[in-house]
Amino acid sequence: MNPAKTYAHLFSPLGGDEAENYRAPGQITFLRSEHVPLDAEKLRASGTRFAFVGVPFDEGNIGKPGSEEGPREFRLASQEYFPYWFEYQVDLYGSSADCGDVQMPKVNPELSRQRIYQAVRTVLAAGLTPILCGGDRSISIAATRALSDHIGAGKKMGYLHFGANLDLADSWAGERNVSTCALARITELPNLAGENVAHIGARNSLNPKDWIDLARERSIRFFPIFEVFERGVDAVIDEAAERVWHGTDAQYLSFNFNVMDASMAPGVTSAEPGGLESREMMRIADAIGRRGGVSVIEVSELCPIFDVSGTTSRLAVCVVLRILAAMARSRGEQVDPGLKRPSQG
Amino acid sequence: MTSGNRGTWEFVPHQHRGPQQQGGAEDHIYSPKLHNGTFKAGGLATFLGAPYCPPDRKAIREMGAKICFLGVPWDQGQMVRAGTSSGPSGIREASTQYFPYMFEYDVDLISFFRPVDCGDVPIVPGNNDRSHEYIYQYITECLEGGAKVIFCGGDHSAPIPGARALSDFHKTGKIGYLHIDCHLDSAPDWGGIRNTNCSGPSRAFDLPNCDGANMAHMGSRNGLNPKDWYDFFVDRKVRLIPMMEAVERGVDVCTKEIFEIAWNGTDAIYCSWDTDSLDASCMPGTTAPECFGIKAREAIQLARIAGTYGADILEISELCPIFDVSQMSIKLACCMIYHYLGSRAKTLRDRGERP
Repeated sequence: MNPAKTYAHLFSPLGGDEAENYRAPGQITFLRSEHVPLDAEKLRASGTRFAFVGVPFDEGNIGKPGSEEGPREFRLASQEYFPYWFEYQVDLYGSSADCGDVQMPKVNPELSRQRIYQAVRTVLAAGLTPILCGGDRSISIAATRALSDHIGAGKKMGYLHFGANLDLADSWAGERNVSTCALARITELPNLAGENVAHIGARNSLNPKDWIDLARERSIRFFPIFEVFERGVDAVIDEAAERVWHGTDAQYLSFNFNVMDASMAPGVTSAEPGGLESREMMRIADAIGRRGGVSVIEVSELCPIFDVSGTTSRLAVCVVLRILAAMARSRGEQVDPGLKRPSQG
Repeated sequence: MTSGNRGTWEFVPHQHRGPQQQGGAEDHIYSPKLHNGTFKAGGLATFLGAPYCPPDRKAIREMGAKICFLGVPWDQGQMVRAGTSSGPSGIREASTQYFPYMFEYDVDLISFFRPVDCGDVPIVPGNNDRSHEYIYQYITECLEGGAKVIFCGGDHSAPIPGARALSDFHKTGKIGYLHIDCHLDSAPDWGGIRNTNCSGPSRAFDLPNCDGANMAHMGSRNGLNPKDWYDFFVDRKVRLIPMMEAVERGVDVCTKEIFEIAWNGTDAIYCSWDTDSLDASCMPGTTAPECFGIKAREAIQLARIAGTYGADILEISELCPIFDVSQMSIKLACCMIYHYLGSRAKTLRDRGERP
């Protein structure tokens, strides 16, 4: 990446007139990237690989509200990270554009879903990988449909989700497009086979029996948290990724950070005990990134009003960035080790 | 325990002894005998409930203190969010919840180290250089007074004057420098400013008697470290243990390694421990809480191992109580010091030595 071939961002800022004010970034964008409007032509011209799109949609939740604040805090937390990752020797500068938020009409979920769908189609049509930040879990329904339609009926897609809930209700109080129905709708997509779906982290009495029944009926492999603990994250992510990536042309990666233990991620709509630790999630992010490509990355159910010291938003950003960094490394990108900080003057 | 004579060391454990004196020198290691409202009635908070001693070498020597606690309420030497200036008061507050007797080591920290609290370094708002000068002077007084120093920041620019004080104190000898942090903090300068919270190891390396072979770092991770920081360690061959390695090999093994490096042929070492090295889940009350860090139980293990090696200055920085939850961060920071001291005392006692 880094089409401009400038390298000042790899280093600590120099002094003098060129000194940047780290604490006053001006426009708050994902990883201080350039703002590019949601327009396929402009996105293509931006020369970036990823497009961050905020999806502040909170009208599909059946539990605690507050996830519409997710994109804002996600962007803020991303200011704390530099584009250079020493662990991978890669540079994420210039790899992303920030398309702002999908404009949400209030009290009109159907129109909102159409706009989410359209936003994802636009980014994919431009040849970029969307990074979506919700919003509640139901945004997955519109966004996966966009990916499905984008690749077309002749192609196959895979779907990988992390969360404490299976979200396999066929309907919830008569509604079919709310958060609890997400995986039920997604697994009805014509080019997503049950064998290419994996779910990691289900636990506790958050999953009614009809969800488990539907998982069985549709051959959806889910890895309950106890299985993850017994076998270890490495073995589980290998098996899950093998399902999702095997023979597929596109992969949708989706995180509800209630997959983490409540102590690791209090700032989600349903912080839940008995989940993953951050160091386990870092291994998962590393493993996913090393596999290479992914077509859509989505984070949902961040809930900053319940967050503690901004830690959950930072975790979410860190996971996404680690995937990006590991992916860049697996593409063979590497910062020239000979590059040094320019001398003062 | 002596009492009454001005200038001599006197332990007034406000939280363990009320206005009614209990009349025994060892009272503070037991449950209170008198129903006098103690413990809840904290009195003036000092670290460990230790007596106050002015930061003056003569006073410290007269009191026979072997540990001086200093607060460094400075948060204008850094470029992340503010709030760590209340770190020292947070850790003193947390220490009122702990007893000076530690059964794990069967040691009474109070009588073993005769610790004193020298209060806070007077910082100068808006003036990093003058504030650093005060930090340097206060630490120098403590070292000249014959004590080891434990100080709580305050932002992570504090090790710059701190290590300089140790270096000057051991002018004719060599010192080691340890840095435990999620950041590498090895910027040559930041926007042209040389003494910020991202240049601790860089300035330590500049000291005449601190060799890169006696410096080490542990805990760095994630996209928090610009390339020149990484280059610093690689180019100068300073040992760097990223968090990935610490997780794989174990924090205890890596702790031993860095302390061996720091103590190899040196006369004194400086240990700089940033609270953001800990995982955000157990340390939300820090300036930059970060995932994928050292867990609470590993931090205690680290402190215990550190205690077997010892350090002339142990600094806990970036503690930020305004972001804390249910006091878990200030209590953990406090425990890190207590376990360090407990383990240090046991180590010395087992060798038949005094602090």
